[in-house]
Amino acid sequence: MKRHLISTLAATAALALLTACGGGGDAGQAADGPQTIKVALWNYATTPEFKALIDGFQSANPDIKVEPVDILADDYPQKVTTMLAGGDTTDVLTMKNVIDYSRFATRGQLLPLTDEAKKLDPAQYSGLNAYDLEGKYFALPYRQDFWVLYYNKTLLKQAGVPESKLQNLTWTDYATLAKSLTKGDGASKVYGAYQHTWRSVVEATAAAQTGGNLLGGDYGFFKDQYQLTLDLQKDGVLMPWATARSQKITYNTMFSTGKAALMPMGTWYAATLLADVKAGKTKVEWGVAPLPQRESGKATTFGSPTAFAVNKNSKHTDAAKKFVEYAASEAGATAVAKVGVTPSLQSQKILDTYFGLPGVPQDEVAKKAFKPGEVVLEMPVSDKSADIDQILTEEHELIMTGQKSLDAGLSEMSKRVKNEVG
Amino acid sequence: MAEQVAARVSTPARARPRRRRSSTWVGWSFILPNFLGFATLTLVPVLASLALSFLDWDSYSTPRWVGLANFERMIHNETFWTALRNTAYYAVGHVPLTLVAALGFAVLLNQKLRAVRFFRTALFFPYITSLVAVAVVWNMLLSPDLGPVNQLLRAIGVDNPPGWTTSTTWAMPAVIMASVWRDLGYYMILYLAGLQTIPAELYEAAQVDGASGWQRFWHITVPSLRPTTFFVLIMLTISSFKVFDLVQVMTEGGPGRATLVLSQVIFREGITQGRFGYSSAISMVLFVIVLTVTLVQFRLQRRSER
Repeated sequence: MKRHLISTLAATAALALLTACGGGGDAGQAADGPQTIKVALWNYATTPEFKALIDGFQSANPDIKVEPVDILADDYPQKVTTMLAGGDTTDVLTMKNVIDYSRFATRGQLLPLTDEAKKLDPAQYSGLNAYDLEGKYFALPYRQDFWVLYYNKTLLKQAGVPESKLQNLTWTDYATLAKSLTKGDGASKVYGAYQHTWRSVVEATAAAQTGGNLLGGDYGFFKDQYQLTLDLQKDGVLMPWATARSQKITYNTMFSTGKAALMPMGTWYAATLLADVKAGKTKVEWGVAPLPQRESGKATTFGSPTAFAVNKNSKHTDAAKKFVEYAASEAGATAVAKVGVTPSLQSQKILDTYFGLPGVPQDEVAKKAFKPGEVVLEMPVSDKSADIDQILTEEHELIMTGQKSLDAGLSEMSKRVKNEVG
Repeated sequence: MAEQVAARVSTPARARPRRRRSSTWVGWSFILPNFLGFATLTLVPVLASLALSFLDWDSYSTPRWVGLANFERMIHNETFWTALRNTAYYAVGHVPLTLVAALGFAVLLNQKLRAVRFFRTALFFPYITSLVAVAVVWNMLLSPDLGPVNQLLRAIGVDNPPGWTTSTTWAMPAVIMASVWRDLGYYMILYLAGLQTIPAELYEAAQVDGASGWQRFWHITVPSLRPTTFFVLIMLTISSFKVFDLVQVMTEGGPGRATLVLSQVIFREGITQGRFGYSSAISMVLFVIVLTVTLVQFRLQRRSER
């Protein structure tokens, strides 16, 4: 069995290398003739934003043809790494997360786009700062996800809670509200809130709203947010973390079947809800509110942008740059917003397009949720991010399952990050 | 005349090596496809991995020779030692339990029972079931609050049933339990085959001499099964040290690092973090451990045969 697995892995690696090497024979085309550029992306059939961008770009530039290079989402970073190591010439590369971006950029695999980035207005482009590597830019963001609070309109109505109350929630208000929304027992239990098992739900929220540093090695600033979550769990307001984890509960199941009234989650979930409601897979009536805050009056959340970059080995750099600029432009942002995905460019016009979509909540609470005051990067970019992420995840499990007391867990996190990541 | 004799003698003398050479080539050509597959998919990667363990390589940049730095890093890394301890814990639980369970069921199902074929198939079934399904089902059975196992325990008066895969103490026993359940069918079949080779006269003679059932088992069955037991032991040990898939799906090494095993560290460091040199160094250590344990078992087997 295991031998089988290893030989399959080896075969896949060998194949990947072979395909990567085979890509080098592409001769450069004349600059003014019709051209074809290749764009590396993932799950083309189920990620509508890519088709929207490619179609939009092609109709604006009839002399350039775009060919998608479709890669399985889970394998994407690994596959692109192998492709680049083999000198692949795929023109445009999607930057799935900023950690990969900094890896590719600092190793000189990407074409500088500093001039193009300087033309964009940072006040309107949420997430642009994340691509700033000592004043240089190697990618332009086209999409920005950030965290909001989803709520079940039906359950709120049944409890007699007006939706406008969700506009300015503090975490204390959230806890009180969640407690009042919890009802039932056993299989028919409805939880006041569902917080998914990811460590970011607690940790990135705390970091964004207290200004704490996730890479710093001192994690005292997590304490309030953990205490709140653990208390809610103890009171039966949240599904126990251990159950959610061992049963591999999906957040979509919890929310779309009405098992949870409130749920902090990223904006990408709106696109899923829109599609599922349209396809008749769920009947949930949903709304979005701003993420609860530590102090009333603020609107700080966390998120991660997605961007396009140009491969340094590209033979069609001008056409490739045109595509990247198009995706970041107003036309690109409109195309993305139309499929229910939140674009990086968040001008009033784009927001109007988004809220004009059938099924998207139109009210003031939702509009406020989609215009957060500040979006802090989910995990700061550093060569140590991946190792620290692993340690934080392991200790998060121990705290949430009650295997370690909160204080012991927090000090173990700090100790391990200081000792093991060097 | 003399010429004729010489010709007659020399003809076979010349033809023989040619025929031998051509049959050698035919032989080679038969194993060549198999060997090519083995070489490109197993031998070369293993040798490359050995070389990689002395390099610093992220699959991007030019590999850099770092000597024993990867091994040094491993020695000072707490996660490596945790994973090594966990792997040993798993093997020490999994090997004897599977062996005893497989032997027990084999002896039981070697009797002339009604529906014996049904039970043999039922016990072998988990082995051919998808491992992911096995892991998911066990996770459901062992769910801390709603799972049937804990409901049963509560019903018989256990007030505080274990948290199984969500508890650092019980996660490894839970994984071992699932893996014994899955593997025992395969080893039971091996033991059944072994049992069929024991001559019935031995048992008849023992019965005539008045040996009890236990005595017959202990003095006839166990010694006669020694070659099978040896094979089962080797296979179980090797597979225990390499365990990956079941842990990966059931607990992902958690909670914390309670079920983290060596092959998971190898996977994480290499595939996820892109540290192929360090990852290869750990796999070399795993290779040496498995090799040593296997050699020791062979040595002990030879001594007991003497």
